[in-house]
Amino acid sequence: MKIKAVMVGQPNVGKSSIINAISGARLHVGNFAGVTVEKKEVFIKKGDYDIEIVDLPGIYSLNAYTPEEKVAKRYLIHEDYDLIINVVDANVLQRNLILTLQLIDMRKKMILVVNMIDEVEEKGGHIDGQKLSKLLGIPVILTSAKEKKGVDKLVDEIINTYKLPKCGCNIYYNEKIEEEIENLTKILLKSPHFNTKEKARFYVIRLLENDEDIYKIVHDLPIFLELHEALSESIKRLKMEFDVDSVADLLADERAAIARSIVMQVAQLPRKETLTDKIDKILIHPIFGLPIFLFFMWALFQITFEVGSIPMDYIDAAFTNFADWLKHILPPGDINSVITDGVVPAVGSIIMFLPNILILFLGLNLLEQTGYMARAAFLMDGFLKKFGLQGKAFIPLVSGFGCTVPAYMAARTLKNPKDRLITMLILGFMNCSARLPVYVLFIAAFFPTASAGNILFIIYLTGAFLGLIVAKILRTLLFKGEPEPFVMEMPPYRFPSIKVLLMELYIKAKLFIKKAGTFIAGAAMIIWFLSNYPVNENLVNEYEKKMELVKDDSEKVRLHNELAAKNLENSYLGRFGKMIEPIFAPLGFDWRLSVATVSGLAAKEVVVSTLATLYAVGEADEKSSTLIAKLRQNVDFKAAIALIIIIMIYSPCIAAMSTFYAEVPQWAWRTFYTVYPNVLAWLLAFFAYNILAMMGY
Amino acid sequence: MRVSDMKIGEEGVITKVSAQEPVKSRLFAMGIAKGNRLKLLDHTLKKQTWEIDVEGTRVALRKEEADHIEVEK
Repeated sequence: MKIKAVMVGQPNVGKSSIINAISGARLHVGNFAGVTVEKKEVFIKKGDYDIEIVDLPGIYSLNAYTPEEKVAKRYLIHEDYDLIINVVDANVLQRNLILTLQLIDMRKKMILVVNMIDEVEEKGGHIDGQKLSKLLGIPVILTSAKEKKGVDKLVDEIINTYKLPKCGCNIYYNEKIEEEIENLTKILLKSPHFNTKEKARFYVIRLLENDEDIYKIVHDLPIFLELHEALSESIKRLKMEFDVDSVADLLADERAAIARSIVMQVAQLPRKETLTDKIDKILIHPIFGLPIFLFFMWALFQITFEVGSIPMDYIDAAFTNFADWLKHILPPGDINSVITDGVVPAVGSIIMFLPNILILFLGLNLLEQTGYMARAAFLMDGFLKKFGLQGKAFIPLVSGFGCTVPAYMAARTLKNPKDRLITMLILGFMNCSARLPVYVLFIAAFFPTASAGNILFIIYLTGAFLGLIVAKILRTLLFKGEPEPFVMEMPPYRFPSIKVLLMELYIKAKLFIKKAGTFIAGAAMIIWFLSNYPVNENLVNEYEKKMELVKDDSEKVRLHNELAAKNLENSYLGRFGKMIEPIFAPLGFDWRLSVATVSGLAAKEVVVSTLATLYAVGEADEKSSTLIAKLRQNVDFKAAIALIIIIMIYSPCIAAMSTFYAEVPQWAWRTFYTVYPNVLAWLLAFFAYNILAMMGY
Repeated sequence: MRVSDMKIGEEGVITKVSAQEPVKSRLFAMGIAKGNRLKLLDHTLKKQTWEIDVEGTRVALRKEEADHIEVEK
């Protein structure tokens, strides 16, 4: 027997942790058809039953607002399933019940899961599950996913509820409202599309609330005209009777009143000053809030650099030694060279930054999971508003420091398309963690160690600030109009689950190493090949003859290096570099830096690995110096700054760009997005280079 | 009085929510509905962003939204 259930609940009620806590469940993560909203499915086998639970995105109500909410609503209305599992947070039962009441309107079989009951009991509170079940007419389970309490009862309850003939729901609205619902339902039932009274009743309620999605469905029915007329009459009568602006308001008030009365009957929720209140007094203090927030951000970048750099030298040295060792073990020739000059230094130059990236991700995850991210949005709203953005844009913007790809998706929390597009257009200015290796490398090469953390912080701040200025310009020139209103839940502070944090870090590390081992190693091989071929036999012969003639050893080494350099310049990559050199020449880039910059479009880490390969190939003697030393010899300070500016602004990697294209369907914006960062990057780098030149650097 | 006229720490019962759709449904979904208890927790220095507590839920809003919620002490 197959049972299909959907899990629905408001955000922050702990749906994912319930799913993780069901024992013997198999989890599958995918996407909802046609959209990149994550779809989690759980499969459980119990006795004769194969149970499938689809976890829908968190929704505040059936009046869908964000794209995620629309996905969830569409699923609830159109898909086929046997029962609904509605998860609520025991702490804020009253607010959560409003969604529950909207779901009960559907008259589907339903289970109410009251989660986080441990937090209520800790405060000395109590919820009477049996009474709640009686009042709503649906089974109720009290759970604590954190303490694994009650979660396994859910599986049995799913089977029991499945066996019920139908939902025992007994929530009704005011008599007068029910009367109108009854009349309209009769009209709707005339249409052969409605075989059950329950579905017709649900549609009528949604229509009374002016639900456009449902309106579109009934619009094409033959009884539409009759229904439409009766509906307007009903709405008119109800508005008069209750003296309200709309029936939606009326039903909202009704639900609020029902929820309030139910909570009064079944729950004691003591209101003590909670830890959240105390912490909030400090963290969102009108005066100290912002400085504290800036301090946290500064500390995060300091730790990222300082702690992350401790294992860096060891990793660097280990890979350099490993390459040297391999060079002697393997037979000389192309294979030796591609591995020891191409792949190993490239992969090593990337793996080196794994600690930095993990620390930065850990920090951002902590901000998110503890609930501080919402406070930061609260603090930043006034500031962001000045640039035509809103507080909630802060969440995608900060995610952008981790990776631009999920940040583009996080921008979906912004409903207004203009707000969303502006936010997405400037997300590239939030330096992602893949750019970290480039910065760390250049800072290490061109700045004193003591100020490294600060320089990094300045780079990130400058990027963010530039983004805001661009946002302001876009808002004034291209997107006139009011920004989206700001209404955001501030979830209570919670201690993050160590298990979840470690899991996320593990996934991140695994993906990163996989990327270094496959994509970046592959790119390095290509770069190596392009930089070694074609071999100019005449040139080699000429130099070999020259070298035979000279006796002096140092002269021999000089000629050897000259040959290597000439070969490199003559290679495919050298020719390509020479071709694009004029574009980058005004910024003081040699062809190597130019090639590295272009290769960064594939992935930003590749800039570092390309430089590692290019400088390793160019150097023919055995004495291996680190990449940092080579950069100091080959690149001047002005060009280094110009490169940092280019990396800060120009187009993000291919993965990020394709995500943007997927999220933004208009070609005009796609084109704009593809062109303007590169033009801006070049111009600003050019100014910086020349200003530094005038200052005598 | 309006939420934007309240002082930090003041409490009241919501009497009217006059915001426009779709903000209105959003406010309702957060529990900001007639009859519920509301407490002003905090606002930023320039009174641009406000934090309120409605029946145990903390919600952040802007002045524009706070202007459209009326409470009675």
